[in-house]
Amino acid sequence: MPDTEIKDHKVKVWDLPTRIFHWSLVALVMIGLITGFLSPEWWMGVHLWAGYGTVLLVIFRLVWGIFGSEYSRLETFTFTPREVIAHIREVFFLRPTHYIGHNPAGALMIFALIFILVGITLSGLLVLGGEENQGPLAGAANYQVGDLAAGIHSTLTVILMALIVFHVFGVFTEIRLSGENLIKSMIDGYKRVPDSIKPPTHRDARPLAAITAMTGFAMISGSLLWAFSTMPPSGLLKMTENEDFQTECGDCHEVYHPSLLPRASWTSMMASLDDHFGEDASLPPKTAIAITAYLSAHAAEEWDTEAANRFRNVSPEAPIQISATPYWVRKHNEVDADIFKRKGVGGKSHCKSCHQDAASGRFDDQNIKIPKE
Amino acid sequence: MKMLSLAIALSTVLSATLGANTAQANPARDAIVAAFAAQAKAENPSFAGFSAAAGNTLFNSTHSGGKPDTPSCTSCHGTTPFATGETRAGKVIEPMAVSKNPGRYTDTEKVDKWFFRNCRSVLGRECTAQEKGDYLTYMISQ
Repeated sequence: MPDTEIKDHKVKVWDLPTRIFHWSLVALVMIGLITGFLSPEWWMGVHLWAGYGTVLLVIFRLVWGIFGSEYSRLETFTFTPREVIAHIREVFFLRPTHYIGHNPAGALMIFALIFILVGITLSGLLVLGGEENQGPLAGAANYQVGDLAAGIHSTLTVILMALIVFHVFGVFTEIRLSGENLIKSMIDGYKRVPDSIKPPTHRDARPLAAITAMTGFAMISGSLLWAFSTMPPSGLLKMTENEDFQTECGDCHEVYHPSLLPRASWTSMMASLDDHFGEDASLPPKTAIAITAYLSAHAAEEWDTEAANRFRNVSPEAPIQISATPYWVRKHNEVDADIFKRKGVGGKSHCKSCHQDAASGRFDDQNIKIPKE
Repeated sequence: MKMLSLAIALSTVLSATLGANTAQANPARDAIVAAFAAQAKAENPSFAGFSAAAGNTLFNSTHSGGKPDTPSCTSCHGTTPFATGETRAGKVIEPMAVSKNPGRYTDTEKVDKWFFRNCRSVLGRECTAQEKGDYLTYMISQ
């Protein structure tokens, strides 16, 4: 056998579940980053699935870190700070000790990545519930919490990207120093181990225990989230339709949701109907009073949706124009000017041409559908 | 007496049947026109009835004095009384001609509201009873 010539032997280091975990995580994190940073808003649904998938993978990895085969177990790559520092020093002098599984620096990276991913997915869930009023925490998290979580979510994402760069850098450093193709190892599971190093007694995976633990964890966290999800979404009013509002306003234009402007804007709009965006839209006083009361009772201040929170801040120059609010302008700057000219859109005053849930005031990202022509 | 009520019933049925085609007779609408006539007479003692031709001119002319975006009725209401129009905010406006839209001009409050608004938007002032009557007479004839 030619193998006798070589002073190394092959050891199966990464079991199949660990390898599948690794590359699935790569894919989901990529999808999460792309849909989070680059894709238009209506890819939110995909972003969410990438997030939920990541949660499952991280949970799996922690469970597999207990019940997986030898080198997948967390204890085999849990090092003391002293060991980590010693290893980094060795790497610095280009003479690192050989580790069969993760080396101390790599191990630290694994824990850091898992920690950050837990933070990103949890904060993401809070953004979803708080800002978007969706997901299991729609009732539990208000907009303010969601807004705070959004800051954390993006900060952690920047840290994640830095960690990914370090992780890849670390992998290539070790490839250079050891000559071991770590990328191939993460595909076929094998690593070359010098004969001088005696592998520890191999402990096999315990799939049944892992499945039981996964199921138990899924049931506990699932029912916890389910319990939260039974809370009605926070900050949505029960609104009875007002016939005057629907017919009088709807005769000339799309009926805008009352949550889209603050009370002061509605009041001043209703007091200046004789010059309503360049037209006389006067109403009999009785009707005008009724509509003003209805709008005031359901104005942006009364809601905790993303739209209501954003549109409370109106343009000082045009306080009664929704499409002049700073948030509206900023969000729609991303939209090509030609799109507003499409027949199916009909201009900036036609929210529901693209926002299919405009009538509810929710304006979910997933419900944006821009007409093709 | 019996003959009379029979005649009324007959004529009601008849006018309802024919009404589908001639379309113009409607008690509520007639009352609205009559009210404008009474008002016009009060405003101008030499009032000599309404004119569909004058209504046509009012509808089709370009006016000044109103809001810059709406110089004419036809700015929003299609180019003819039979065409659909569109508000500046993109809502479809059904044709103004009574033959096309028999429900038009039968609700006093609605008629008053729209004359008030649209005359001010287009002309920059409220319309006179004469103008309103001319306009209705024109649309009823269409």
